[in-house]
Order: sequence, then C-alpha cells, then structure tokens
Amino acid sequence: MSSASPTIGTSPWILEVRDVKKSYENGTIEALRGVSLGIAQGDFLAITGASGSGKSTLLHLLGGLDTPTEGTVLFRGQPLGKSQNGVASIDLDTYRATSAGFIFQSFHLLPSLNALENVQVPMLGTGSHPHNREERARALLIELGLEHRLRQFPTQLSAGERQRVAIARSLVNEPQVLLADEPTGNLDSVNSAKILEILAQVQQRHGTTLIMVTHDLSIAATAHRHVAMRDGRICN
Amino acid sequence: MQLSFVGFAWRNVWRRRLRTALTLCGIGMGIGAFVALVGFSRSFEHAWLQMYESAGTDLAVVQKTFLNTSVDQSVGTTLRQIPQIAIAAPMIFNMMAVTPEVNTLVYGWRANTFEFSALNILQGRRFRDGQQEAMLGELLAGSLNKKVGDTIDLQGSSFTVVGIYRSNSALESGAIILPLDEMQNLSGMTGKVSAFHLQLKPAPPGISPEQWRQQAENAVEKQFPGLRAIPAAERAANNQLVVLAHAAAWGTSLIALLVAALGIANTMAMSVFERTKEIGVLRAMGWSRLRVMLLILMEAAALGAAGGATGMLLGWAALHVLATLPQTASIVSTALPFMTFLDGLLMAVLVGVLAGSVPAWRGARLSPVEALRHE
Ligand SMILES: Nc1ncnc2c1ncn2[C@@H]1O[C@H](COP(=O)(O)OP(=O)(O)OP(=O)(O)O)[C@@H](O)[C@H]1O
Ligand SMILES: [Mg+2]
Repeated sequence: MSSASPTIGTSPWILEVRDVKKSYENGTIEALRGVSLGIAQGDFLAITGASGSGKSTLLHLLGGLDTPTEGTVLFRGQPLGKSQNGVASIDLDTYRATSAGFIFQSFHLLPSLNALENVQVPMLGTGSHPHNREERARALLIELGLEHRLRQFPTQLSAGERQRVAIARSLVNEPQVLLADEPTGNLDSVNSAKILEILAQVQQRHGTTLIMVTHDLSIAATAHRHVAMRDGRICN
Repeated sequence: MQLSFVGFAWRNVWRRRLRTALTLCGIGMGIGAFVALVGFSRSFEHAWLQMYESAGTDLAVVQKTFLNTSVDQSVGTTLRQIPQIAIAAPMIFNMMAVTPEVNTLVYGWRANTFEFSALNILQGRRFRDGQQEAMLGELLAGSLNKKVGDTIDLQGSSFTVVGIYRSNSALESGAIILPLDEMQNLSGMTGKVSAFHLQLKPAPPGISPEQWRQQAENAVEKQFPGLRAIPAAERAANNQLVVLAHAAAWGTSLIALLVAALGIANTMAMSVFERTKEIGVLRAMGWSRLRVMLLILMEAAALGAAGGATGMLLGWAALHVLATLPQTASIVSTALPFMTFLDGLLMAVLVGVLAGSVPAWRGARLSPVEALRHE
C-alpha cells in the first residue's frame, strides 16, 4: 500500500508510516522491523497481534508519543517530529495537543482531580477561558452518560465510568485521530461493549479516524480494516 | 471552583498534606528567621535614623575609614568657619557595661549642645561640663532603678545622676549621656571625638536645601580630605553597629533559607518521581516539556509562598517576643517595616522556584513513553 504512495509532502492518507523501524537498548531489542502503512481519513483500523509483537510501539509512533529509529511518520503528508528533506515538520507536542487523542487500557486519570476536572487537563495552560473549558468538559461527559458523576474522583468511579471519562478527555480538543491501546482490556463484557459503541459512534458522527489496538479478534472484526502484527512486522 | 493551571498545581501540593505541612514548617522557620532578624536589624537602623533626625542634625562629620571613627576635636574651630555651617557640636558614642549583664550606649555631649532640644528632661537638670555628672534615659533609669541623686559606676568612675530624660528614640531612652570631657577621660580619647554633628545655616534664597547641604559637604571634605560629611539617612545606614547587625541578620537568615530551599527541593524531587507516570499522561495529552516544567515550578512556588506566609507569622511573633525582652526592648519596634514582609514573601517564592527547578527539569526531561512506562 505504501509503495504506491507519492513522495514526502503529499499523501492521500491522514496518517502514513514509511519503512519504520524502532529499536530499544542500543538496537538489541527490535520492536518494529520495517513497517509501512497508510490510514485513510475517517477510517476505523484495528491492530492485533501477540503480546510483544509491537502493537503499542506502532500506536505510540502514530500518536506522536515517540519517534522512530528509522523511517518516517507523516500526518497529512507532513513528517512528525524532525523535519526531513526541507519539508516542514509538525511539532510532536502540537500534534498531540491538537490532532491526536489517546485512550489507555488503564485509563490514566489523574487521582487528585474529579471527572469534570480530568477532562479539562488537555486544555489547561492553553489560554482558554476556565468557564469555556468547564462547559466543554461538562457537555462531553453528559454526552457519554456521566451527568451524575461530574464531581466524582477516579477512585469513586467504576472501571467503565473511568474509561468514559478518559474518552471524554481524549475528545476534548476535537482530535482528528483517536488512538486507543486496548481500551477494553480492563473491562467486563458489558462495559466493553458500551465503550466500543461509544468509540464507533465518535468515529461515525465526527468522522474521527480511529486506530485501536486489541487482543480480541471479535472486536477487530467490527473495524473497517484490520492489521495483524507479528515480530515487529505487519503480516496480513 | 473552576479548574485553573494554578489551581491544578495547588491541588498537587495539597494532595500530600503531611509532607506539605512538614515542608512548610521548614520554609516557615527559614523565612521566620529572615523576617525576625532582618526586621530587627532594619528597625535598629531606623532607630538611629530617627535619633539623628529628631536632634536636628543636618550632617555628621566623621573619619572616612570605617573602623577608626575618632576625629581631632580641634577640627571644630575650622568647621565653624565654613560659611554654610551654623553649629558644629562634638560628640562621642560608645558601648559600656553598666552592670555585668547590661551594656548600654553612652554618649558624650557638651552641656550646651543643640541636641538636647530633642530630649525632654523629666527629673532634675542638665549636667555641667567638667563634672562627674550623668543623665539617664527613662528606660535605662527604670530598668536600673536609678533616680536623681543616685550614683552610677562606669569603668571604675562614679557619676552622680543629675537628670532623667525622655526621648522618642529607643537608642537614647535606653542610654546614658555624660559631659563630653568626662567621656573623653573615661574612654581615653583626650582631644578626640567620634563625630561632629552639624546644623547648617538656612539656605539663602535661590539655593535649594539639598544644594546648600551639598555645598557644605563639599566644603568640609575639601578642608579635611580625611573626613566625610554625611546626611542622617546615610549615616544611619553606615553606622558600625547597624552594619554589623545587618551582616549578622542576613548571614544567619541566608543559612536558614538555604536549609528551607533544600527542604523544598527534596519534597519536589520526591513528588515528581512519584508522579512520573502522571507526567507521561500530561505529555500524552499534548502538554509540552515547558508546560510540565511550569506546573512543577508553580507547585514549588506555591510551597514557597505558603511557607513564606507561615514564616511571616513566626517572624512577627518572634519580633513581638524580642520587643518585650528587657535586653532588646529598647531597640525593637514591633511596627515591622512593611518591606521586610514583602522581601520575605518574594524571597520565599524565589527560593521555591530555584529549589523546584532541578526537579522540574527532571520531570520534563523524560519522553512521554518513558514516563508512561514508569512504575
Ligand atoms: N521502552 C522500551 N524499552 C525496551 N524494550 C521495549 C520498550 N518498549 C517496548 N519494548 C519491547 O518492544 C517489544 C514490543 O513492545 P510493544 O509494547 O509494542 O508490544 P505489544 O504488541 O503492545 O504487546 P502487548 O500486547 O503485551 O501490549 C516488546 O518486546 C517490548 O518488550
Ligand atoms: Mg501493548
């Protein structure tokens, strides 16, 4: 798919990885051994594979949390991180703040903040007005069915509720790309179904590109597209 | 309450209440020492200034060198010929033991000096030149339980108390005044004085008082290259005792502040380490390194500010204690200069920010993925 893609600077994909390698510990651990992949705007992509196959590593590169050892990640045709061949690059902090949203398996809510406040964290220090921030967070939480949990702290919320707060937080800056690393990994089947429904709705209603890592092949089957990984490579 | 960036920082500090409280005690003591000691030395300086000013001294003539402040008494004759100068009153001041426990300031004045105008004689009369007579400030007379007609021993000589006076200045109401010539004998300064206190003639029309005073200063220093003519404010600030008090106060409180800074640094380092994963989350949400650093610095500054406030209270309490102790009551005013409070608070915030900068840098240094993987 990527071999046909044009040169850097133009790309039909919203996100594209080209010949990406990622190694750790001075190259002794090769988490990604040459991955190329294009993701279309508004798509729902599932990434599956055995533990240690490099799923999270790939997701981190797509989300601008890390940079590849070799190769390039492009967002709308522009490289993330270091600029290459004179093509202007996108600053990773800016990319994460404005274009990408993250959801984690273990929620990662901040314990000292209540639900309403946790959702506002991505907007803190951006110069936005506190009142507007709070209204935006409230609207999102209500949309996700948490109107009775606004002032609750993470420890006072169920796992499913926590993940919904985390989803609200990931959506607060209206990202074009939503990245989820095993978002239902810590949830029972009822809550899993609910979270998957919410994510699918976001993807359909807002045209958000959804990239989800999962162990569960039945979940992967609900995606538009499915990429399987083995030993740091894409194998389907 | 809507969540703000500062509020978030404060929430993080508040989360570990015990640790925060202990850190605050540390900073509080550092800042408290600063407020009390520097406040003390400033009110000491202020007391000198008040005394110089209330006596109506326009300029004081002293030696240029800092430690040796004696001036030949014969200089007076020449000073009085300088056109700007109306009066040049010789004086001596020194610290002497009046009892084994109590040291007090002792001044040597001429019986006819203008400086008596600032004193209010409550009992008895002025001394006479050349007599073994002394006047006591009312505070000192009270604490020594002396009245007119009693005698007081100074360095082996006995003086009759002929007057008790009241002064607005704590430095005079806790002091003794002797005839200048007696004071010279007592301190082995025959023919020498500590300083001349000058009163100037009124400035002629067309010349501002400042220009006039400047002319007098220049004239004195031209006549006597080894001497300096200095206005009251400058003199208070350069008074040997004041300089020593300032140095001791700053030295001691800087050490206390250093200890406080280490306390903040330790607290912040621990709190950043514990929250490594949270910092990873913030970075994943798009927070830049700079924003993370600002958050941590803000937390450190909040600790500093809260510690500063604690310190203000401690320092204020300490000054009130000093103001009631007989040894220090005469030179401490509890009306603490506002500047000392402001300085203390600024200092506390600054210490917080400095102490937080290394932990802040460490917290922001990690990549988001590294921070998120932290257990
Ligand atoms: N920071 C790191 N330092 C060293 N090795 C790492 C690091 N991150 C990942 N690895 C290694 O890279 C490989 C791929 O890791 P990755 O987390 O991408 O796997 P995964 O497919 O997400 O696995 P899982 O399903 O268990 O989450 C693993 O062998 C892992 O141990
Ligand atoms: Mg993983």
